[in-house]
Amino acid sequence: MRAWLAQRVEGVPAAAVVALAAALAVYPLVATQPFWRHVVIMSMLYGAMGVAWNILGGLAGQVSFGHALYFGVGAYTAAYCYKFLGLAPLLSLPIALAISAAAAVLVGLPTFRLRGHYFVLASVFIMEGIHVVVSNWDRVGAAIGLEYPVYKASGFVDALWHGQFQTKLPYYYIALALLALALVAFRAIQRSPFGMFLVAIREEQDAAQSLGVNVARCKLYALIASAAITTLCGMFYAQYVLYVEPTSTISLLISLEICFVAILGGIGTLWGPVLGAAVIVPLTELLRAYLSGRIALDMSGLAGGGIGAWLEYYARGGGGNLDILAYGLVIMLIARYRPAGVLGFFRRID
Amino acid sequence: MAETLLAAEGLTKRFGGVFANRDVSFTVGRGEIVGLIGPNGAGKTTLFNLVTGFIRPDAGSVRFAGEEVTGMRPDRLCHRGVARTFQILKPFPRLTAEENVMIGALTRSGGLAHARAVARRCLALVGLEHKQNVLARGLSTGQRKRLEMARALATGPQLLLLDEITGGVDQPSIPGLIELVARLRDEGVTLLVIEHNMRVIMGLADRVVFLHLGEKLAEGTPQEIASHPEVVALYLGRRDGH
Repeated sequence: MRAWLAQRVEGVPAAAVVALAAALAVYPLVATQPFWRHVVIMSMLYGAMGVAWNILGGLAGQVSFGHALYFGVGAYTAAYCYKFLGLAPLLSLPIALAISAAAAVLVGLPTFRLRGHYFVLASVFIMEGIHVVVSNWDRVGAAIGLEYPVYKASGFVDALWHGQFQTKLPYYYIALALLALALVAFRAIQRSPFGMFLVAIREEQDAAQSLGVNVARCKLYALIASAAITTLCGMFYAQYVLYVEPTSTISLLISLEICFVAILGGIGTLWGPVLGAAVIVPLTELLRAYLSGRIALDMSGLAGGGIGAWLEYYARGGGGNLDILAYGLVIMLIARYRPAGVLGFFRRID
Repeated sequence: MAETLLAAEGLTKRFGGVFANRDVSFTVGRGEIVGLIGPNGAGKTTLFNLVTGFIRPDAGSVRFAGEEVTGMRPDRLCHRGVARTFQILKPFPRLTAEENVMIGALTRSGGLAHARAVARRCLALVGLEHKQNVLARGLSTGQRKRLEMARALATGPQLLLLDEITGGVDQPSIPGLIELVARLRDEGVTLLVIEHNMRVIMGLADRVVFLHLGEKLAEGTPQEIASHPEVVALYLGRRDGH
């Protein structure tokens, strides 16, 4: 047992992994306030999405700025199927995964044969295009979105089937399971021949191809796997907030948050996105919570007050979005001091 | 000559208005070592890229083992038995030497354990077994050339195209590399080799194809090429060499 705990899982001692898992499992029993549970739920959700993003971005080196598309596919499919078709999440799951894979093929098939940054551009523009379509599509609620009919469950199993709970505790453990699933999937891929092909593509695409690696197909499979996990996270999110609308699901900001979690934590590493999410998500959630009461500031002094009045207005949280500014600041600091990501603080970069 | 393994027919490639290759035809017989020589800019590497599917010819055809493979993608060609190295070396820098070679083995058969065994054997063949756990970017130029050969060999090729055996390699390493190429032929691999060093190619090749400004100027045994008036003129820089 002791020997096993001293083993390392991608640079992190197995004992530390066990301790982390135990801490996460016990945390909501200690932190009973909904807000503190919520912060960790969102951290684990983004951690899972960062790990999923990393399959494509970290292993294969294909940077996607459009992963919110797959998040949105999950969220909207779950909401639409529940609201209009009466399908429980478990039943809409295969539909969501099929749409997600189709979307991945739509983005990846034309661009993965090409070299350079075509995939990055396609990932953004297709996601933004779908955002516009969804924002104007009345059937899915257009810009207003879809609100879940609230279900009063009789018993835990019934609540689980409908994916609606009265407290955050079940959501918490589902998010933890999603994170575990993402980590297991990433590690399984990383250690498989397929994962080695992805890394070879990232390191030197021509050489990989000359050695018999079907570059376009490998990238596409990586995208489909990555998108599938992200779609699961989207479904979870919809069931969690019981409301989907375009801006909080299929948007560039969500896309960037997903990939920042991976990039800030340590791109291409198993634990990087977990660490990245643990740093950035609580920060933004706290900023949001802290600022939410202060946004309705008095704007009357701005007209004649000059730049000083504006600066004061923004410093006090006027206009909102200070969390996004904080994002920018954290990114600049990490890019300056630890380009390999937050993991770089804990180990030497060779 | 033995059975024809590779047959290029009328290969032509233009970049803008410049012919990188113009109507180049040649064959490589099974078990041969064929040298491809010519001054800088003669179109040797372009010809390699045409044969290995990295670029598509504007005209002409490539047949491999009797089958039409013109414009076939490099990975599919690799599965048919064509492997190559690159003039500008392309190792996977952040993978170990062993992992580099494993990639080549894995595209042929699934298992990691089997691929590792193949990789060890190929690394031993090129004399890099002591470097198996070193990251590729930590290897010298000569070692990286050997690594690329091992990687290509791990795909189990019938035909191996080597782009510059000795280019950029320090003088003392050259005899070892030459000996390695000869050993590969003994292993049953057919070789098409680009080489700048005339002395190297003369001692190694069964036949030599000489390219100049994208066109095939001469073809023959090393002795015939060495005494070919135009080749002599080009290599000695005489303009009145006829």
